[in-house]
Amino acid sequence: MTGTAERRPVLVDEAAAVEGVADGMTIAIGGFINAAHPMALVRQIVRSGARDLTVVGSASSGLEIDMLIAAGCVNTLVSTYVGAEGLAPIGPAFRKAAQDGEIDLFELDEAHFYAGLRAAAQRLPFNPWRAGLGTSYPDLNPRLKTFHDPIDGSLLIAVPSIDIDIAFLHAAISDAYGNVQHEGTGFGDRAIHAAADRTVAQVEQIVSNERIRQNPAATSIPGADAVVRVPYGAHPFASHGYYPADKEHILEYVDAATDWLKTGSRTRLDEYLDCYVREPVDNVEYIERVGLRQVLALTEYS
Amino acid sequence: MTATATPKEIMATVIANDLRDGEWVEVGANLPVPRAGALLAHLTHGPNMTVMLAMTKAYLHDVPVIEEFAFITDVAATRWAEAYYPHDRLLSEMRFRRRGVFFAGGIQLDRFGNSNLIGIGADPRRLDFRGPGGIGTCNATLQNGRYHLVTTSHSPRVLVERCDYVSAVGYGDGSSDFRENHGLDPQGPASIITPLCVFDFDPDTRCARLRSIHPGVTLEDVREQTGFEIGDDGDVPVTPVPTEEQLELLRTRIDVRGSLR
Repeated sequence: MTGTAERRPVLVDEAAAVEGVADGMTIAIGGFINAAHPMALVRQIVRSGARDLTVVGSASSGLEIDMLIAAGCVNTLVSTYVGAEGLAPIGPAFRKAAQDGEIDLFELDEAHFYAGLRAAAQRLPFNPWRAGLGTSYPDLNPRLKTFHDPIDGSLLIAVPSIDIDIAFLHAAISDAYGNVQHEGTGFGDRAIHAAADRTVAQVEQIVSNERIRQNPAATSIPGADAVVRVPYGAHPFASHGYYPADKEHILEYVDAATDWLKTGSRTRLDEYLDCYVREPVDNVEYIERVGLRQVLALTEYS
Repeated sequence: MTATATPKEIMATVIANDLRDGEWVEVGANLPVPRAGALLAHLTHGPNMTVMLAMTKAYLHDVPVIEEFAFITDVAATRWAEAYYPHDRLLSEMRFRRRGVFFAGGIQLDRFGNSNLIGIGADPRRLDFRGPGGIGTCNATLQNGRYHLVTTSHSPRVLVERCDYVSAVGYGDGSSDFRENHGLDPQGPASIITPLCVFDFDPDTRCARLRSIHPGVTLEDVREQTGFEIGDDGDVPVTPVPTEEQLELLRTRIDVRGSLR
């Protein structure tokens, strides 16, 4: 006999999606350098006024992390790189905050990053790794500890688990029940999800449960705790299968943040953050401010 | 008449001549010289090489013009992909990297082959210059069978006596058992490739030593632009320039937009 209880959809709006973020939490932001960051949610986190966050970037992060630093949300950063490749080899706000001692850096290599996420996913205190011995990483990051392998005695590094309270991801589609499918590989999003207590995904489209079941092997996040429909939500970064990175807009941010780095004046940076991050009530208003013509002109195969 | 190769084209040729068919090589999006070198080897003598392009496994031997990508996440790279790796998988599967060759850069490279992408300055909490971060170079330089340090800026600020911080370890402090004492294979970097010359490492002292100087460059030029002492090796050979075929491939199929020129 079937009960009367009904399956609960997990669709929420942008504001509700970040309600769980509290000062001092550890949050993760998925994607990779110039692609697939959950920017609508990143901007919403800034608007929420969250402070003292430990932010786990993607293995190599883009300017979404730079923006969170610029907005004063970050206490500690776990990432191997912050930048936009040729558009900004080093994130300007990251560079300024690091040089001024304003943020703590959990220094590590991409391989350590995944070893730490794997430990969290496996509910282990650490995962071992060999690379890093003889480098400055264990000196700069005392949480990376060297030890002797009990099996063969060789020297190894213990990478502590990177436990995440909430992971924020961007993907292509989801059904209303949080069955998320990426277009492309999803970079390291699966590993971030597996290390997190809760996962919130923004997607380009909400699709039917039947469509998800047509290709269940493509479900990369089987059961996000909340999903948000945000078309163009990764802008100015790429969303595979939808749009490439908006280089022009990324450079607009880079110029504003570089002005802070070079002059110490926040005027231009705050103008950017006010216009594109703090004032828009949601992603639609953000996109309107960037300009519909500029955004809709973005095409992967031009 | 043969056109004259630029220093970066000579660097790419040094890289190509070192690579062997069947090797696994990762081509980063933002390192035009190693990218060109790897592709040159693939087109001339490496049909069985595994070329990793923007996280894809690509077969490019028959591609007429191999366009460049601005970003490692560029979806256009998938048009040649035979496989597309999730990033965490790329960082977990280390066993096959024994046949891999890797190229690393740095804001500092030192005489013992250590490299630094972390920063410059005495106090790590107050760096004079915060670098981009080591990305995956710490791991990739250890896991791959062979690696080279590459810089397009040969200056005393880049080629230093000792790095302020080490993100990818070479021969450490140069002591004979440094790598073994740190649980590492004895083999550090194979060479440092610059726009002026190629260094390899003396097996006895583990110091960088001149292997060849590019045409038109003098030993004095190299000495002036290098922040560590260069021994007096007497006759240093001239770096081989690209053959006509290599230069044509570079200019017509690999580097059409001329980033090496």
